[in-house]
Amino acid sequence: MQSWRRKSLWLALSASWLLVLLRVFPLLRLAVPARPRAGAPQGWPHWLDIELLQSFSQPGELPEDDPQPPPAPRGGSCDWGACFDVSKCRGGGLKVFAYPVAGPISDTQRGILASIESSRFGSVSPEEACLLLLLSLEAPAGECSPLPQQWNGGRNHLVLGLHPNFCPQTFQLGQAMVAKASPTVDTFRPGFDVALPLLPEAHPWRGGAPGQLGQHSPHPGVPLLALAEERGGWRTAGTESSACPRDGHCEQDHGPEQTHPGATLPNATFCLIPAHQPDALHFLQALQAGCIPVLLSPRWELPFSEVIDWTKAAIVADERLPFQVLAALQKMPPTRVLALRQQTQFLWDAYFSSVEKVIHTTLEIIQDRIFGAPAHPSLLWNNPPGALLALPTFSTSPSDFPFYHLQRGSRPASRFSALIWVGAPGQPPLKLIQAVAGSQHCAQILVLWSSEKPPPSRWPKTAVPLTVLAGQRKASDRFFPHRALSTDAILSLDAQSSLTTSEVDFAFVVWQSFPERMVGFLTWSHFWDEARGGWGHTAEKANEFSMVLTSAAFYHRYYHTLFTHSLPKALRTLADEAPSCVDVLMNSLVAAVTKLPPIKVPYGKQRLEASPPLAPGGPDPQPPAQDCINQMAAEFGYMPLVSSRLRLDPVLFKDPVSVLRKKYRSLEKP
Amino acid sequence: MCASVKYNIRGPALIPRMKTKHRIYYITLFSVVLLGLIATGVFQFWPHSIESSSDWNVEKRSVRDVPVVRLPAGSPLPERGDLSCRMHTCFDVYRCGFNPKNKIKVYIYSLKKYVDDSGVPVSNTISREYNDLLTAISDSDYYTDDISRACLFVPSIDVLNQNTLRIKETAQALAQLSRWDRGTNHLLFNMLPGGPPDYNTALDVPRDRALLAGGGFSTWTYRQGYDVSIPVYSPLSAEVDLPEKGPGPRRYFLLSSQMAVHPEYREDLEALQAKHAESVLVLDKCTNLSEGVPWVRRRCREHQVYEYPQVLQEATFCVVLRGARLGQAALSDVLRAGCVPVIVADSYVLPFSEVLDWKRASVVVPEEKLSDVYGILQGIPRRQIEEMQRQARWFWEAYFQSIKAITLATLQIINDRIYPYAALSYEEWNDPPTVKWSSVSNPLFLPLIPPQSQGFTAIVLTYDRVESLFRVITEVSKVPSLSKLLVVWNNQNKNPPEDSLWPKIRVPLKVVRTAENKLSNRFFPYDEIETEAVLAIDDDIIMLTSDELQFGYEVWREFPDRLVGYPGRLHLWDHEMSKWKYESEWTNEVSMVLTGAAFYHKYFNYLYTYKMPGDIKNWVDAHMNCEDIAMNFLVANVTGKAVIKVTPRKKFKCPECTAIDGLSLDQTHMVERSECINKFASVFGTMPLKVVEHRADPVLYKDDFPEKLKSFPNIGSL
Repeated sequence: MQSWRRKSLWLALSASWLLVLLRVFPLLRLAVPARPRAGAPQGWPHWLDIELLQSFSQPGELPEDDPQPPPAPRGGSCDWGACFDVSKCRGGGLKVFAYPVAGPISDTQRGILASIESSRFGSVSPEEACLLLLLSLEAPAGECSPLPQQWNGGRNHLVLGLHPNFCPQTFQLGQAMVAKASPTVDTFRPGFDVALPLLPEAHPWRGGAPGQLGQHSPHPGVPLLALAEERGGWRTAGTESSACPRDGHCEQDHGPEQTHPGATLPNATFCLIPAHQPDALHFLQALQAGCIPVLLSPRWELPFSEVIDWTKAAIVADERLPFQVLAALQKMPPTRVLALRQQTQFLWDAYFSSVEKVIHTTLEIIQDRIFGAPAHPSLLWNNPPGALLALPTFSTSPSDFPFYHLQRGSRPASRFSALIWVGAPGQPPLKLIQAVAGSQHCAQILVLWSSEKPPPSRWPKTAVPLTVLAGQRKASDRFFPHRALSTDAILSLDAQSSLTTSEVDFAFVVWQSFPERMVGFLTWSHFWDEARGGWGHTAEKANEFSMVLTSAAFYHRYYHTLFTHSLPKALRTLADEAPSCVDVLMNSLVAAVTKLPPIKVPYGKQRLEASPPLAPGGPDPQPPAQDCINQMAAEFGYMPLVSSRLRLDPVLFKDPVSVLRKKYRSLEKP
Repeated sequence: MCASVKYNIRGPALIPRMKTKHRIYYITLFSVVLLGLIATGVFQFWPHSIESSSDWNVEKRSVRDVPVVRLPAGSPLPERGDLSCRMHTCFDVYRCGFNPKNKIKVYIYSLKKYVDDSGVPVSNTISREYNDLLTAISDSDYYTDDISRACLFVPSIDVLNQNTLRIKETAQALAQLSRWDRGTNHLLFNMLPGGPPDYNTALDVPRDRALLAGGGFSTWTYRQGYDVSIPVYSPLSAEVDLPEKGPGPRRYFLLSSQMAVHPEYREDLEALQAKHAESVLVLDKCTNLSEGVPWVRRRCREHQVYEYPQVLQEATFCVVLRGARLGQAALSDVLRAGCVPVIVADSYVLPFSEVLDWKRASVVVPEEKLSDVYGILQGIPRRQIEEMQRQARWFWEAYFQSIKAITLATLQIINDRIYPYAALSYEEWNDPPTVKWSSVSNPLFLPLIPPQSQGFTAIVLTYDRVESLFRVITEVSKVPSLSKLLVVWNNQNKNPPEDSLWPKIRVPLKVVRTAENKLSNRFFPYDEIETEAVLAIDDDIIMLTSDELQFGYEVWREFPDRLVGYPGRLHLWDHEMSKWKYESEWTNEVSMVLTGAAFYHKYFNYLYTYKMPGDIKNWVDAHMNCEDIAMNFLVANVTGKAVIKVTPRKKFKCPECTAIDGLSLDQTHMVERSECINKFASVFGTMPLKVVEHRADPVLYKDDFPEKLKSFPNIGSL
């Protein structure tokens, strides 16, 4: 009893103490606010009368009630909306007329004019064109060319010069756009002018040297920094060297350094480029070399800054903080270095490696402005293969192209359209149709009837729709972007081809992993013929190949658009004249875009010889075809074809396992 | 532990039995002591709190009680804004110094009330929005209360709306700020610039070099790369609840909802409505609303009344036309409704245009072309419209929806300029979260076939199987493209054999001794690796021929961003157990290659060692298993691509170890491996592995062709 009371007493006592503690402590805490810790931010006060504060704008006082008419362009300054008449470009899109150059013409100028004429923007008459292009004289001290008759205050004119200073002087320009090399930031009108790169004297006008980058990541032995020198060379500095005073020029006598004389390309991870205009020349060298440009407060606008996201390929730093910049470069994570390096190479190759690319990029930018909304999205400009090779007329949605599935997290559609080209003999390929229609992935069969004989009225019954299109009996017609081609994948076939359903199925599954490449069965390879001093190609079996025949190949339908609208006119004519050339052209085109070889898949029986298959006019003699590859190389300015040494087979291909376990059994037959 | 429990139970009994009064005495004593203890604790803090009593009152101040500052009529005025200012000319970067976190420090001046000589206030002390704005800065990582460490200064003088202030006096107030110094590194926020009659497009208050975050800049007043163009905040953002509406075609194709539209433009719009009565809706102010209805929230077409901003969700495109000012709060409402803004305001610098890609979310139409707007919009493909709708809503959510969002975006832009090497990328600014989540940016995106001359480095992980190791070294050294051999000696208890005992090979051989026997040592980015290509090979893989290895290297050159390996494996979804299962049978598919023999880019060593998500790396080291599965996950996740299995199936079990390779061991092995897959899939939050049905063989493999003319004849022997 007593113990019970004692216990309860203790319990009551401790409980009351606990209560007191619990109640008093919070009160104490309230009364004694936590002492502001030294250095801890005090913060903006929370006002007691916060509810009484008024909004910055009362709806009634919004000056919407007092609308103004549009202001006139100020002080001769122009922007796109005010100074360019888009209505002239309706319908045909951008058509460019370039005034002929009066007086002596330089090689580069001739090159520029030729590349405009041969491009899809070219126009022959100033009346038809919506952009008139005036080539400025190159010599900075040269005489100003007289203004052309159609000048019209410079409206819808583009004055183009590859030098930073040129005639006519700015005050004469009126409403004309200016495209010049490395314009100063102060005079550049964003969204109206176009900033060009400062090109060296001997810049190739077509093709151009590829980027110097041989590998993705920097070689461990390569110095961290190269510095642009005033005389035009580069000096490399080791990691330890921090000999850069404020103006960004580094001292001679610090660290392990060596001087590269002349215009050799720098060999370093980062290239430090000072602020002044002549240094813009270094910028392009760094890009080509895959050396990440570090620009110290450039006073000039970066080339094509309107569309190119330079933060992905270069670093624009403040020249007043050289040590911070250096520290930041040293600490830069490998992931970023890797990405920047690769982007320099992509940009160099896509937009800068030749005069022609620079000109086409300029026109493409202007065309994008004209298009307004349905133009290249930024993704297309800043990812391989670049905007010159991804036509906005095809689509503005990146997922429609074969190149951006990774970035968009999308996949190519899981069906294909078979496009069967029926040439001269005019035999309906019944067996082929059955084999193709048997594929579970086949969405439709299109027969492109290009024979003189009329097509038969009855076609075999197939599980998938079959459509007969009237062809034009031209080899290039084969790669026309027919509207009926609705799937991403096309299986291009010849009436003479023979395939089994297994082969088709497997090849398509492989294509889905490589939607940007061509996947084919029969191969050719190209080679350099020392004796003839030119390129040649052969259908002979070899350990490597660089082309797959389009008589049986999967590829993305976008390549039809590219073939028809982007290939130089001369090459398309060539295809019509020498039909066996289409294989070379198509493969070169795809290789020029992807920089990768096509893919070969196994071909069960060697039923069809890998001879030039398209021969409406009988077997083709070899010489024209050889010529084809050389003409192609000349038009491209380089040899785009890439060789591969591998073939993709089914996982269990010819393995010593029961055939019953294999998915593609018909491929197993010898 | 046991003892202490007992002790507690017997607690009361420990107090000696005594008389009640004694007990009371003891209890009182105990209480006093306790009270004393508490009091001591409290007084520890007390003196300070007395000292800083004025400080802790800060929280309770009223806006009306802020200190008053009298501005003499003749006090200095700042210069007008300098139009040629750029970051490298007018901004003092030295104040931002080197900062390991790459964050600028922002100081806010304390709030004052400014009056002129005659005591008339210069402006409203502070608006609700400006208070929100300063609170947002103060709550952010940018804030500092130490004026000497600050890189950017934000005056508490509210200039959001030019109409509410006296221009000259406000400028004088700015000029007397303690660190003004011609406005260097000062940031002003203004949303409604200019005033009647000509409505300048930038704040008229002379501000010298100060940066201006302004709503409604035109290209003539905007200093590219110096000023920041910001949205005009719409108070409706907070007032109205407008849930997201998915993209797709809507009832009206084009809608105009603004109330004050210049008569000329209204005429154009009315003409459009007349022409496309079904798909165009042009709204105006309501004239006959009953009392008490907030007219801001209503729009009318003849007698039909529409609720604003809800009506915006009924339209695909919404016209945002300039008024007297270029910047319109309607833009914010339109974006929020997922309606694609059609911006008709010549020379307007769109909000945050320095970083936001407005082409993805809006259509800009020149004022002159307003009458053609219908045709222009018709030319946009449907898929693009849907993407624009989604993008518009995302822009609102990320950068428009609150004063806080606007403020932080502004500071981030300035921060990115000052620390360009740590700047946010285009994708980080512009991609909506769904795209960010599903997109893959391959770190080796450049299509590039590395030169063969580079060769590869073979890395052999070994513990103590010296004999087998030496055989592997001898075999691998026969591969023509091998450029270096690295042995990772993972046995700390035993020294590697003497130099003289190692096989003599034609390439450099290096032995690296590790500090701990961990599987991840195989994937460490050793300085000794000079080539990009790495061949990871186990010390018992002696069955691969030189042709097979050389061919593997050639395949890697064509796919340098992938794992290229010999034994292939597959993951499968087990429907019964609802989880992933590991499969090593002879299947038609592969999704992994074992790293017991695989080529890969050395960058993946860096990723494995430093960027492996979650606790996978430690988990692998603790379980001494699945390092290869982890590598497969990592590479597939970062590149979005499948592995490449090379050459036909082979028996890969070492002949020496068949004795221990019993059936039960095999089964536990499979269970463990399956567990790994499930564990990794949960850490990655997705299943990154890609299943393919192909493997790589030499072009002429098994073809009817003379063997001696084949480049890689010795392939596929079991």
